[in-house]
Amino acid sequence: MSSDRDAIFSSIRKALEPIKNPAPMPEWDTELVISRPSGEFASLKDQFENKLKFASARFMDSVDALGEFLKAEGVTIGYCDPALAGRFAGLEGVEIETEYDEAKIDVYGFGITRATAGIAESGTIMLRDQDTSARLAALAPWIHVAVIDEKDIVATIPDAIERFGDDPSIIFCTGPSKTADVEGILIEGVHGPGIQVALVI
Amino acid sequence: MKSLQKIDIAARDLSEEVHDANFIGAKMKSERRYAALERDYADPDKLRETAGLIKQHTLENLDTYLEKAEAALQRNGAKVHFAVDDERAKQVVLDIMNEHGCKSMVKSKSMLTEEIHLLDFLEKNGKEVVETDLGEFILQIDHDHPSHIVTPIVHKNRRGIAKSFEREGLGDYNDDPETITRRARKFLRQKYLDADVGLTGANFVSAESGRIALVTNEGNARFCMAANKVHIAIVGIEKLVPSDRELGVFLNLIGRSGTGQQLTVYNQFIGGPKSAGQPHGPEHMHVIFVDNRRSEVLASDCREILRCIRCGACLNVCPVYRQSGGHAYRSVYPGPVGAVLSPLLAGNRFPELADLPKASSLCGACNEVCPVNIPIPDLLLRLRDKAKREKAGDAMKGTPDLTMWAVLCSQPTMWKTALKMGHTMNYIPTEMIPHPSAMSWQSQRKLPKFEGGKFRKWFKNHKSN
Amino acid sequence: MTTCLCDAFYADVAQASVEVLEYLGCDIELPDGQTCCGQPAFNAGDWASARKVLRSALKTFPGDKPIVVPSGSCAAMVFHGALLAFEKETDLPEVKALGGRTWELVDFIVHGLGITEWPGKLDAKLTFHRSCHLRGSESPQAISTLLASIEGLEVLPIDEVEQCCGFGGTFAVAFPNVSKSMGELKVENLTKPEPDIVAAADMGCMMHFGGMMDKKGIETKRMHIAQVLRDSLKNAGKI
Repeated sequence: MSSDRDAIFSSIRKALEPIKNPAPMPEWDTELVISRPSGEFASLKDQFENKLKFASARFMDSVDALGEFLKAEGVTIGYCDPALAGRFAGLEGVEIETEYDEAKIDVYGFGITRATAGIAESGTIMLRDQDTSARLAALAPWIHVAVIDEKDIVATIPDAIERFGDDPSIIFCTGPSKTADVEGILIEGVHGPGIQVALVI
Repeated sequence: MKSLQKIDIAARDLSEEVHDANFIGAKMKSERRYAALERDYADPDKLRETAGLIKQHTLENLDTYLEKAEAALQRNGAKVHFAVDDERAKQVVLDIMNEHGCKSMVKSKSMLTEEIHLLDFLEKNGKEVVETDLGEFILQIDHDHPSHIVTPIVHKNRRGIAKSFEREGLGDYNDDPETITRRARKFLRQKYLDADVGLTGANFVSAESGRIALVTNEGNARFCMAANKVHIAIVGIEKLVPSDRELGVFLNLIGRSGTGQQLTVYNQFIGGPKSAGQPHGPEHMHVIFVDNRRSEVLASDCREILRCIRCGACLNVCPVYRQSGGHAYRSVYPGPVGAVLSPLLAGNRFPELADLPKASSLCGACNEVCPVNIPIPDLLLRLRDKAKREKAGDAMKGTPDLTMWAVLCSQPTMWKTALKMGHTMNYIPTEMIPHPSAMSWQSQRKLPKFEGGKFRKWFKNHKSN
Repeated sequence: MTTCLCDAFYADVAQASVEVLEYLGCDIELPDGQTCCGQPAFNAGDWASARKVLRSALKTFPGDKPIVVPSGSCAAMVFHGALLAFEKETDLPEVKALGGRTWELVDFIVHGLGITEWPGKLDAKLTFHRSCHLRGSESPQAISTLLASIEGLEVLPIDEVEQCCGFGGTFAVAFPNVSKSMGELKVENLTKPEPDIVAAADMGCMMHFGGMMDKKGIETKRMHIAQVLRDSLKNAGKI
């Protein structure tokens, strides 16, 4: 193994040796990568809402709205992060479990977990492993509800990257899971959620 | 015609159905790409150029950045391996699986695993491997291979897929794309739960943090790191970027360039095994850095091709790819990027693929759309020069020998004589010229009337007046 | 620089270029020893032959006067391709200097001479093929600027403006099937808006898709951009 390592480094160095002036790192302003906003927004929350919809995700800002939505979707059982469960205790006709049971992976109609941040620029939900109570809960159910504190909505992707910290597994979700592999036809809900909800509180 | 190039034959023989699927698919993605970049950026070229410079800088300091990434990953609790070539890379994967007692693998899309033929090797060694990207899964059950970097089954239609699903026991014939997708969801979900190891590639690796960035739409890469205990990431050494900050540049470009999405649905940043309190996900992370001739490319005068982030924009815009489809390129990487990269990665099999750099009108559309501003036409030209110098026979097929022409063009007196003599051309039916190039030309186009020297004569009179 | 195609086939394009530049007050010289820019060999991978031709051009075009070429592709060969072909050669500096003073015709008019309005008149609808070798250069913008200012001239937009016509020098003969499909698309896109004139800035492209139009019996008038500029001046009584 170490011989592979040595061999690779040695051939890289040999390849680079004739390059007298290696290309310098370009200076670039963070502004360069920030996309043009699609309109004028009164707040980051408004922009986030607009961009979520653009990415085919759902925006909600009350537990009641979520309750109505789950009812309309005919969903009766799901998982919720135990730390958030108190907020949803009042939901009628919905059974909530706070310990993820892998055997019920196809039974859970929704999963509610905490999101670390929302990105207004792109309508993205950011999940850090340390903030996600159970990875499967945010991935396997048809409906994933990401609970975002309004103050955690950041303006741009670079702002979100700055919040990575030391987390080992960060995920940006921009809309529901999707594919266009078959004849370029867009189908939502391939392996992950078919419906991505951002619940801003 | 014996003198036809392989890609030209492939384009001629492509069925209308596959041609249209490929052509329309490519054109549509190209238009979306353009729309997304123009909508979102005042100066998309500045972004492309910067991204290109960042990658070039990283490549030209690759030893430093690779050491940094190795150290960061180890710090995060991941195990780092190196593999010089395809054989070693496959062996390392197998060894890791055996070390952890793993029998089955779910894997997400990785062009590198196609390059080293990982699946066949693992299956021969008694492991079960399942491709989880929908397109790749369909290719796996059909024993087929991708024809596009991003949309691997652009050459297939729903009817063929429905038949394959029926054959594999995934339900009665049904060619509705939604049904196909749901059936794959159900089937693969069980595979995720049963698998011992999840394997992914990497779109980018941040040297500073060791984070591996994965860019997907389906969520399969997430699932390859949810129910299993071991994660293997197999990474080409050219995937590095200096730090997390640069990821912002590339994430914004890769989705827009590839499919016209502002961001792909999922962008994952994996730095190590799962966090302590997390009930799901791999406890072990292995990262394998693979060379497989990339350092040879780095040593060549085509090293810019290593900037490539595999977005597929050059394929989509390429008029030759649109006509011939990906399989015509007879290698893992099709289209303009493949025409440069595949012959270079072929090592001493270069002559077998030396015709690929010829399959371009050098129109430069590939460079114009490339998110890392690779001067692809220049690299194609360099490889044409190499093929000529190394006398790679297939590359020169159909191309007239220009040695005599060069003599003519470097001797002004001879040139002027030829301009006078050329008039004979106007007195014979040009269709009769028994030269293969002339015949090839005439089959579709008329030759213009010869009027050699006319302008020179006019100019002389004009000046003396 | 006349270009070998104009020298052999398209005398009027070269003549129009001279007339246009003279109208702008330029004093034109036509070095007698000129032949070709070396591009056919360069693109075919025969760089040794390309260098031979270019070295002949070096001798033919001494001094420091601007070299103006009625072809984006030949101009790009001199200011870009030649640098690749000579990157390991000792006479690279001379080649660089040659490239440094070589201009595509309209780029020269707009950015070299500072002309941004064309006082011509041409009552016609026109589609324009943006030749691939103009990509990344200042020429496409220069050409649209001038065309837009010609009285009576309407430039019609076309589909897939970025797509190549399929010429590519020896590519057209080595890949006849691909080249044909590309050419047919280009002809379709250029003629669909029903223009009176199809224009281009490169006779290479025009020889290819024009030859295809001839074969198909499509009679739409074809003009090089130099001819458009010249004829519009004539119509306006300027020359």
